[in-house]
Amino acid sequence: MLRTIIDRLLLSIPVLLGVLLFGFLLLQLVPGDPARVVAGPTATPEIVAQIRQEMGLDRPVLVQFWAYLERMAQGDMGRSMISNKTVTSELGAAVGPTVELMLASLVWSVPIGIAMGTAAAVLRGSLADRVVMGLSVAGVSLPIFFISLLLIQYLGVVWPIFPFIGRPGPWYTPEGFMALFLPALSLGLILIGPVARMTRSSVLEVLKLDHVRTARAKGLSEIRVVLKHGLRNALIPVITLIGLQAGYLLGGAVVTETIFSWPGLGRLVVGAILSSDFTVAQGAVLLFALGFITINLIIDILYSILDPRVRK
Amino acid sequence: MIPLNLTPVSARLRLGLAALATAVALPAAAQELTIIREIDSNHYDAPRTAALAGSEVLFMMADTVVGLAEDMKTIEPLLAESWTVSDDGLTYTFKIRGDVTFCDGKKMTSEDVAYSLNRWLDPETKSPVRWRMGDVKSITAPDATTVVYELNAPHSELLYQLAQSFGSIVDKDTVEKLGKDFGVTGFNGTGPFCWESWTPRDKLVLTRHEDYHWGPANYENRGPAQVEKITWQVVPEAATRTVALMTGQGQVSPYVPFIGVDKLRKAPMVELAESDEAFWTNYIGFKIDKDGVDDPRVRQAINWAVDQAAMAEDLFFGEVQPAYSYVSKGALDYDPKVEPLLQKYDPEKAAQLLDEAGWKLNADGKREKDGKLLQPVVYTFTGSWQQVVESVQAYLLKVGIDMQIQPFDATVAWGKLATQEFDMFTMGFPYVSAGDALNLYFRSSNMPSPNRMNWNDPETDKLLYEGSTAVSDEVRAKDYGVVQEKVTEAAVWLPIYHKPMQIAYSNKLKPFTAHNIYGAGLYKGLQLGYK
Repeated sequence: MLRTIIDRLLLSIPVLLGVLLFGFLLLQLVPGDPARVVAGPTATPEIVAQIRQEMGLDRPVLVQFWAYLERMAQGDMGRSMISNKTVTSELGAAVGPTVELMLASLVWSVPIGIAMGTAAAVLRGSLADRVVMGLSVAGVSLPIFFISLLLIQYLGVVWPIFPFIGRPGPWYTPEGFMALFLPALSLGLILIGPVARMTRSSVLEVLKLDHVRTARAKGLSEIRVVLKHGLRNALIPVITLIGLQAGYLLGGAVVTETIFSWPGLGRLVVGAILSSDFTVAQGAVLLFALGFITINLIIDILYSILDPRVRK
Repeated sequence: MIPLNLTPVSARLRLGLAALATAVALPAAAQELTIIREIDSNHYDAPRTAALAGSEVLFMMADTVVGLAEDMKTIEPLLAESWTVSDDGLTYTFKIRGDVTFCDGKKMTSEDVAYSLNRWLDPETKSPVRWRMGDVKSITAPDATTVVYELNAPHSELLYQLAQSFGSIVDKDTVEKLGKDFGVTGFNGTGPFCWESWTPRDKLVLTRHEDYHWGPANYENRGPAQVEKITWQVVPEAATRTVALMTGQGQVSPYVPFIGVDKLRKAPMVELAESDEAFWTNYIGFKIDKDGVDDPRVRQAINWAVDQAAMAEDLFFGEVQPAYSYVSKGALDYDPKVEPLLQKYDPEKAAQLLDEAGWKLNADGKREKDGKLLQPVVYTFTGSWQQVVESVQAYLLKVGIDMQIQPFDATVAWGKLATQEFDMFTMGFPYVSAGDALNLYFRSSNMPSPNRMNWNDPETDKLLYEGSTAVSDEVRAKDYGVVQEKVTEAAVWLPIYHKPMQIAYSNKLKPFTAHNIYGAGLYKGLQLGYK
């Protein structure tokens, strides 16, 4: 097991280096001029030139990249070109709300998605199966901004139950919990469909296998057969999917966080890109990549726990 | 877009749910309020930011030497209780109040005033608005309550410039202690509100400055502020901002989308503070040395061809004033003599001018001269500006001008607008006076940016210099008037609209008047209070 984890960690290093290079080059290719943005629309060319020099933007690209690598090696992600706050403090403040939002959306949507998919598999061909599949198609097809606006309209305006701007506190405070509800509901809704569909097809496959037939022959109740012998073995592809979807959640979080004014990584990266805040954008891209790598690592480890063949 | 008319539901149920949500989401709301805004500032260090989002908060956290009344013309005492100006207009002597304290309780002295103004002036500060200070010789504090501001040449609008947020007076010790983090991790000013915390791009929290009592004299409440805490909450999505106000999740917003203004005006729970005058003008400028638009007749034709009144109605739901002049009528030193020169919608006159200029209609209905089509390229921002230029494009096509639109998002646009690549460009700006706008945009020394038109006219430079250094108001107004006439006749811009200040607020708040200073409608925030 330890060997598997070490192997996966070593494999992550070149990916991380690639991300560093990609993030740096991508932002270099964007034609925006952060010195001009910082200087403001009425600044004279001299002021802009001074600011550009101070920001190091007048140096050759390779020199800038080398300086960037040196700083990263020392754990220094630099300072925001706009606010002068350290990038680590900017990212540190944003990562908590995003993780909170992602976990909150996973916590309710994954069990419901699995339950819906299992029910649809067991009741295959019935009205319930069609309803579940119809709902999951709707969940996959509806854009997240539309879902978010609908939730605001009905649960924020028509029935004013939940607040929908900002994050007044962490989830365990009453006001924080209320504020988390709509963004987590919105983000989770896009996950239910794929999870339900994958669970349904996976459970259907497993229920055809010999060990399930044996379990039934032993006289076990259908519920026990499905839950213990069917669902458990059907979960591996579902976990893979959840891992992949967690990545999409990060993307979805950009939209959700913008609509609900949620102060997370998604809004941070959008704001940084829009204001040509190169250092924060680079840091955020790196953190997103780290998030993906970590999620995949966790999935790999879960694999080896659920399926001993993977360890061999 | 979220429909703003609420679906009828049981009133009792909704009332109960609203009360529950409010109780959970907004504890102790009576002494606190949330101001909803669209964007955040890059930081809150006064001389280093020209952002409106910066000024909005700086006016609340700090005071300036003098204040500007809501009529946008009257200069009034603020930190200076009085001042004198020497006959030659070169020396301003301010008598500073002796009873002012910073948020940390420390007494403010003339040394802090001189320090703050010298910091604005210091090339190391790299202030993008340093020019607003004039040609400064020295700023000194000879004693604890006196500041002497000496100029090499008179600066007739100095007091108006000192009233802006760039001239915020701050505590020297805090600035030196925080260094580049001043206005980022902390702030210490003398304003009605004090810095509590800032999460960039999310929210900035201010608490009441309990000792404050030196607000502008024309305010009923000169301090302390009526609310204990103000949260400036960033809500980037326009529909969310509007419904947040309607559901009481925010109490004030100066960032109401035009489409929502009329609905908010009719909404029972929301009031609108609207100013009659507009001190924010949006225009399309011409790069006057580029082929085609280098001919004044072409530029005039474009002005005659566009119907600003219809655009104000169709694109902005009648919430803006169609603009024909370069500054609005209410601005200090606006010249009424420009009125006969204003070019209002007359497509026939536009066509006639184009014919005279040699641009003839070809078989495709496009204007052509020496085998070349009249196709000016306009650089613009994505978003609402795009709608404006598309509308202009349609008007121009009617007279045969095939305008080409090149939109850029804000990250790219400012860099692109500093180039010489385009024939036309879009821009909007706040101002306190005609001189404010003219000196910024029409001095040849400000080419290529912010004088993106390349307007290079020695007589304009001379008049602007004479106006800005005039000792008498009459001379200044006359000089600026002549410049307004010159640039209007030359059709250097196509003015589009003047934007009045509109602030939506909860009907639980006392009514207040919107200020127009630099677009910061809430100014000191002293009027904000619950009924």
